[in-house]
Amino acid sequence: MQRAPRCLRLALPRVQRVNRLARCINTQPDTPSNPTPRTTSFGFKTVPEEAKESLVKNVFDSVASSYDLMNDASSLGVHRLWKDTLVSTLRPGKKGPLRCIDVAGGTGDIALRILDHAREKYADRETTVEVVDINGQMLKEGFRRFKKTMYHNTPQISFHEANAQELPATQFTDNTYDLYTIAFGIRNCTSIPDVLKEAYRVLKPGGTFACLEFSRVNNPLLSLAYDQYSFTMIPLLGTILAGDRASYQYLVESIRKFPPQPEFASMIREAGFTTGKDVDGGAWTDLWGGIACIHTAVKI
Amino acid sequence: MATSSARLLKLALPLVPEHGFTRAALARSVLHLPTPHVAPLSDRAVSSLFGSGDRARKTLFRAWLDGGVESMQGARPASVKEALHARLAYNEPALPHLPEAFALLSAPESGMPPFDPMPALKHAARVADEACYLSADQSLRLAWYAKRASLIGVYSAAELHQLTSPQSAHAFLDGLLTTSSTIDSSVEDVRLFSSYIFRSWAGIIKSKGIL
Repeated sequence: MQRAPRCLRLALPRVQRVNRLARCINTQPDTPSNPTPRTTSFGFKTVPEEAKESLVKNVFDSVASSYDLMNDASSLGVHRLWKDTLVSTLRPGKKGPLRCIDVAGGTGDIALRILDHAREKYADRETTVEVVDINGQMLKEGFRRFKKTMYHNTPQISFHEANAQELPATQFTDNTYDLYTIAFGIRNCTSIPDVLKEAYRVLKPGGTFACLEFSRVNNPLLSLAYDQYSFTMIPLLGTILAGDRASYQYLVESIRKFPPQPEFASMIREAGFTTGKDVDGGAWTDLWGGIACIHTAVKI
Repeated sequence: MATSSARLLKLALPLVPEHGFTRAALARSVLHLPTPHVAPLSDRAVSSLFGSGDRARKTLFRAWLDGGVESMQGARPASVKEALHARLAYNEPALPHLPEAFALLSAPESGMPPFDPMPALKHAARVADEACYLSADQSLRLAWYAKRASLIGVYSAAELHQLTSPQSAHAFLDGLLTTSSTIDSSVEDVRLFSSYIFRSWAGIIKSKGIL
C-alpha cells in the first residue's frame, strides 16, 4: 500500500514543492519589463507568477494549525505586541461602531483584538469584522478560535474565503468599510498594487487602510544584529520546530524582498490613498526600529 | 488624482479662526474639497494623516506658521518694517488661539525638558530671516547675524505684545524698530569711534618706535 505523503511538500512535484512557510512568499513582480513569462519572487528565487496563488493556497491548507507557532518562532512572540500596537493605534470603537474588514486574517488574530478593544475600552458591541482569507483551512482555524469567544454566532464576526486581489464585488461592495486591516499578509500576494486597489474600492470615503508588515531596518547596527539573527537563528528554529530549515530560510528572504517603507508608502498613494509625510510617524510607524512597520492611509 | 495630506492642511487653515488648532479643524477640511465629503474625517483618519493626539495639532500649527511666511511673500514688502507688519496682520484672525498653540509647540512630546523654547525661537528666526530676504538686505558677515538677531528680538517682543494688546501691536512694532535702528546707529557710531581711537593709539605707538 502506498503511504500517504506526510505533508504537501512531499506530495507535490519538485517545481511545485513549496515550503510550509509559503505564506511568507514575496510575490511582487520582479521586473515590469519582463512580460513573458511573468515571474515573481519566491524568497530570493524567481518562479512563474500564475503558479503562486494556488501554491500559497495549497500550502496553507497544510500549515494552518501551526501558523501561530510559526509567527511566534520567527518573531520570538513579539508579533503579538505589534498586533496589539496596530489595534490600539486604530482605536476601533472610540467614536462609535465600525464596519471592518480584516484581509489575510484567517486565524482571526487581528479581528479578535479589534473586537476586544472595542468592547473593553469603549463598551462597543456593535463593531463588526469580516475576516477574509484565500485559504479555507486558515479560516477554519480562525473560526475554531472564535468558537471559544463570546463573539461566536454573533453578527460581530464572519469569515469569507476570497482573494485579496479580487474581492467579489457582489459580496464586498464599493465604499462599504470604515477600516481595512491586513497584517503580515500583503507580501504573500501576487500583486500588491491589486490588493491596494481592492482595499481602496471597498473602503468608504474617509475610511482607513492599515497594514502591518515586516519592513526595513534602517539603523545599521540593529540591521546587522537582525540579519545575523534572521539568517542563522530563524532557519535553525525551523529545523527544530518543523524539521524544515528551507521554509524558514524563505521567510527571511521574503521579508528582505518586501519594499522598504517609502516605496510601499508610494505604492499605497498610487492606489489612490492619502498618506501622511514620508517619515516615521507620518505615512508609517516603525516598530522595533523598522523590523515591522504599520502603514496607514485614508481614502479621501 | 489622490488628495494629498498637504492639500487637506491647506484646506484646514481657513478653519483655524473658528475651530482653533484642533483635530476638529483637520477633520472638517474634507468638507471643503471640490467634491466634499458628507461627514468630517474620523479621529482615526486624522491620526493616520497628521499624527496621533497633539501631534496632529502641532502639524496644523506648523502648517499655519508656514502660511505666515507665505503671507509675507504675498504682501511683496519693500522693507523689513512692511514685512513684519504683514506677518503680524496674518496673526490677527487666529489671535485667540495663538497662546495655546505656542504653548503646545513649546511642550516637548517626551515631557523633558518641561519647556522647550527652541520652536518659538526658530519661528521668530524664520520670520526675521524672511523679512531680511524680502527687503533685499545686503548685510554681510557679522552684520548679517546682528541684523537678524535684532529682528528676532523685535518681532518676538511685538508678537508677545500682540497676544495681550492686539490693538497697539503695530504701533509697538514701529516703536521697537525705531529704537532698534537707533541702537544700531549708536553701535555703529561707537564702533567707528573705537576704530579711530585704535588707529590713533597704533600711530602713537609706532611713532614712539615701540612697534
